[in-house]
Amino acid sequence: MTDAASEFLETPEIVPPAETDGRDIYQVRLEAFEGPLDLLLFLIRKKKIDIHDIPIAAITRDYLDYLDRKERINLDREAEFLFIAALLIYIKSQMLLPRETDLAEQEDPRQVLVNRLLEFQKVRAACSLLREREEAQLLEWRRNFLPPLAGESEPDFAEVSLFDLAESFFLMMKRKAEADTRIIRGRDVSSEEKMKELLGLLRDGQVLDFLAYFETQASLEEAFVSFFCLLELVKARQAVAVQDELFQTIRVWIRKDGRRAGPHE
Amino acid sequence: MNEGLKDIIEALIFISQEPLTIERMKAVLEGVAGAEIQAALDELRRGYEAAGHGIRVAHTGGGYIFATKPDHDRWVRRLLQIERKNKLSSAALESLAAVAYHQPVTQAEISAIRGVDSTYTLKTLLEKKLIKIVGRKKAPGNPLVYRTSERFLLYFGLNSLDELPSEEEISKILQEERSSEG
Repeated sequence: MTDAASEFLETPEIVPPAETDGRDIYQVRLEAFEGPLDLLLFLIRKKKIDIHDIPIAAITRDYLDYLDRKERINLDREAEFLFIAALLIYIKSQMLLPRETDLAEQEDPRQVLVNRLLEFQKVRAACSLLREREEAQLLEWRRNFLPPLAGESEPDFAEVSLFDLAESFFLMMKRKAEADTRIIRGRDVSSEEKMKELLGLLRDGQVLDFLAYFETQASLEEAFVSFFCLLELVKARQAVAVQDELFQTIRVWIRKDGRRAGPHE
Repeated sequence: MNEGLKDIIEALIFISQEPLTIERMKAVLEGVAGAEIQAALDELRRGYEAAGHGIRVAHTGGGYIFATKPDHDRWVRRLLQIERKNKLSSAALESLAAVAYHQPVTQAEISAIRGVDSTYTLKTLLEKKLIKIVGRKKAPGNPLVYRTSERFLLYFGLNSLDELPSEEEISKILQEERSSEG
């Protein structure tokens, strides 16, 4: 197997790869795929289907099965995956419609999808060639060696979506609600003050542990206000929210011009 | 073959901070024919490629520059105290390849090719200066138009966009992938 091919095949995590006839023939993690076309190509190759003659019904079933099976829903990406699912179903419906005259070759409803897949496949192949070049280049040093790519000196974090932030928030809310439901406090919290406090903390070069920070909030109301302040900061691109791995806490730090300060510095 | 010429060119490349083009050499070496320079250059490069040298003359970014040979990577990194050079993420590489082959191109076009919203990835590629904005498209919303940068060529050791993997190379890869599955 060539390097390029093995690289491609490694992309999705397949557990187990054995061909059993149960429903769980393979399990793939959504995160392993860069996008819906990636997944679609994977399914097509897995079944050794000719890209120019895709059995739409079968592939749609595989595709939807896969979407059902995955554990975690990332709403940002979900839409893109569902869009292709909708396109598949649309194509199938077009193929089922009775027509008075036979379709010419060019009018195959699948053509749009095939063209996209072919183009995407080309880009993917170009990627593996470029990757080889990149790896070779990285071994050669020049006296004024190219400074490391900006922002690359830190691990490739996944920047979390607002939905992830919300999820963490609700988790925190639950904990808080259990903890001090009987305490009534009269203090008003202004969002301006909270914003100042948050920015102050972040400006000190501090990296905030999202959950830990909210634990320190005196009341539910205060926690609410700080959460909205944080959302505001992320939206204004003043702060960066980062999650190393799934289900870990989310850390927040200030976004510097062009460069982000790494949390491990 | 002018032996002196080879030595002069070696000195010029040695002192250059960025890839030295043939045009620059011609300008410096007034009156020397391009073919003569090229011949001396080839001779120089052959000499370095042979065993017994830790460096070579790399042809990249449209010019010539001294670079260490790949075998010595480990030692250079120890000297510079660099753990490893980071590679592009697969999302970044995919977007970059899409820009390279479809330029000039807009964010929406890249997203359509990948089937994935690429706004953020393009932004990081801009930050890394691997792509650049070359203007706006005369279309609804006047979207920004992107191209690959000079740094992109240097990063991949290319001299021009013509050296990007060709259609044939790409279809060969696809062929190999297909046959390795069968």
